[in-house]
Amino acid sequence: MNSGYPKWAPYVLVAPFVTVFAVFMAYPMLYSAVMAMQQTYGAKASQFVFLQNFEYLLSDPFFWKAVRNTFVFAAGSVLIQLPLSLGLAMLLNQPQVRGRVIFRLIFFSPALVGTVFIAMMFGLMFNKQGLVNFTLHGLFSGFDPVYPWLEQFVMGSLIIASLWQYVGFNMIYFLAALQNVSRDLSEAAMVDGAGPFARFRNVTIPAIRPVASFVVLLSLIGSFQLFELAWVLLNNSGGPNDQGLTVVMYLYQNGFISFDLGYASAIGWALAILLMGFALVQHRVSTIGEN
Amino acid sequence: MSRLFRLIFLFVPRESLSVGGWIIVGLALSSSIAVLSWPIPQREGLEFWLFSKGHAELYQVKTDQWNAQRDPDVHISLLSNESLQQRMLASFLSDTPAADVIEVERNFVPQAFTGPIKDVGFIDLTDRLKEEGIYDQLNGPSFAPWTSRGRIFGLPHDVHPMMLAYRADLFEAAGIDLTQVQTWDEFAEAVRPLVGDRNGDGITDYVISMWTGGGFRDQLEALLLQAGGALFDEAERMQINTELNARVLATLASWMVGPDRIAVDAPEFDPQGNQMRLDGRVLVALMPDWLGGVWEMDMPALSGKIKLMPLPAWEPGGRRTSVWGGTMLGIPKTTEDFDSAWTFAKHLYLSEELAEGLYRKHYIISPVKAFWDRSFYDEPVEFFGGQPVGRLYIDLAPQVPLRTSSPFNTYAKDRVANALYLLKEYANENQKYKPEELMDEAHRLLKSSEDLVTRQVERNVFLRSEP
Repeated sequence: MNSGYPKWAPYVLVAPFVTVFAVFMAYPMLYSAVMAMQQTYGAKASQFVFLQNFEYLLSDPFFWKAVRNTFVFAAGSVLIQLPLSLGLAMLLNQPQVRGRVIFRLIFFSPALVGTVFIAMMFGLMFNKQGLVNFTLHGLFSGFDPVYPWLEQFVMGSLIIASLWQYVGFNMIYFLAALQNVSRDLSEAAMVDGAGPFARFRNVTIPAIRPVASFVVLLSLIGSFQLFELAWVLLNNSGGPNDQGLTVVMYLYQNGFISFDLGYASAIGWALAILLMGFALVQHRVSTIGEN
Repeated sequence: MSRLFRLIFLFVPRESLSVGGWIIVGLALSSSIAVLSWPIPQREGLEFWLFSKGHAELYQVKTDQWNAQRDPDVHISLLSNESLQQRMLASFLSDTPAADVIEVERNFVPQAFTGPIKDVGFIDLTDRLKEEGIYDQLNGPSFAPWTSRGRIFGLPHDVHPMMLAYRADLFEAAGIDLTQVQTWDEFAEAVRPLVGDRNGDGITDYVISMWTGGGFRDQLEALLLQAGGALFDEAERMQINTELNARVLATLASWMVGPDRIAVDAPEFDPQGNQMRLDGRVLVALMPDWLGGVWEMDMPALSGKIKLMPLPAWEPGGRRTSVWGGTMLGIPKTTEDFDSAWTFAKHLYLSEELAEGLYRKHYIISPVKAFWDRSFYDEPVEFFGGQPVGRLYIDLAPQVPLRTSSPFNTYAKDRVANALYLLKEYANENQKYKPEELMDEAHRLLKSSEDLVTRQVERNVFLRSEP
């Protein structure tokens, strides 16, 4: 069938994207793969070391500490943040809640604030002389008025700051999904005697499953890319005893503070492989029983 | 433009795309042409990058003088420290032009010195400095941070000796004469009576601003240097797990925990730290010359209440100062006019007028020894209770310790700062509060830090082959 387009038209149309992709994505990715197999030293010197960077990575205690911290943060984000987002979405999906639109805007608004500002704000709050200690000491006089949250509760502080930023953001996805849940199906289940929990389990969850699995994946990827929040909150470091060191922070420290671009590239590829693994597992899990 | 479209229609039939499609093609083409034909301004004269607004304001006067009298013109660009660092390193990586003259802060220089000496992106100034006699005119230790493997890559801006700043009003009210204190042990004894709830808010107030963590890495390094410790020697050989370093760590940990605690977390450049200083909840701080100007600007209410004294020594008769911070002027290899850049660098940094300006505005003393007898350094400073601040710092300048420029110093500093945090936690958990009780653990933690840094150094195939 003749579409009316010259044969080469599609190539011309995709050429700008392919050019930009090749120059700014494919080439840097390939180059970083090459660099990951090089020992770089300063601005010019490099030597091919094949897989030595990856070998070192496997026995690098800081890398594994960063992976562990990142996992804890991701678990905290997914297991606390997403149920909260879903709960809020369900609440604000109830027609009887007055001012729903205002509440949606209020809960979503932290997502409009830059991460660096959020980190600075929570830094001031969790500071020894900050609002958290001031409030807790005011409420409970026995509470240590200068409790060092950012020394003793590093990961918790990061998770709380991240919750504030993203609960409302993920709520919007769930809200959109909930609005597409068939009311007929829900009412039919109610007529059949299904209680609220049974309707939630058997009607709502299956209906929002594709969106939920997308949000889980998005949150996991976002959590594994955690950098600015921790970097600013912990004063340009991994915090006391590296309790807040994340994989991306470790990559940054190696690449741009130690100026070891080869090793930083190896860390980047390790992170990419981890994320791909997650995406595959998540895809498998989310499709179990789909058919 | 219409010709262009006619040309396009020769190859692509008009009806191939919808009206919207053609509008998008038109916009894409016209914006591409606009971008491509946008004139790129040609660089004229010398480009000078720096990170400090205060410095830029002072340098502008000297630069205007230069531009009025000499060629080529110099253009100052003020960048944030991080932005300057990224642009500078990107230029060194890619050999693309950076500025002709760059003022760099000490914490960002080791990255530029990473790699074989021939690959350092700055021009080696060693021979020129010696031939022109500048090396002998300037304070010797000021060259140390800009020296790598015996070669000097920058003209030093400062000396940055350190003193102890204390709330003279409150110490006098308490009847404590801190100036009689000679050592840190005597200092801890002398100030201990002031620990307590001084303002009646139910919170214990301590004395000296010193803690673990990122905000105190430089202070920790300064105290290690003062003790004669440090993390690398002059030949950039690692020396982390030493008796002196362990002693400094054990003493600092003993200040932070237990019944004899005197230290508190009141970081510099921090609004809450400053509020603590204003409220008298912290009374003593380590103060390099440049910090005086910052305090005066940020906390004018402290005027007349602060005084300076030499740092207490780590042992009787020991060194009474240290060093914190520093800046250099470097000339990248990509400059097309080295001679003008070098002449401008000297015009700026060796100028007496600038030395006076730097002192009057920031209390920074010049590394040019010939200026040290100038009368402006003897003038009383109101903020510091009428003390001749410049003279006090100059008297200590010859004692300023040497510093390393090892590219591994930042990493080593982080590891040692972490060792201090762990030692403080250990002291707390085991209720060991005396420095002598903490020495074994301090050594163990320093050994662990040293092993980590060694591992990092030994991974480098280039360093394995370097002598």
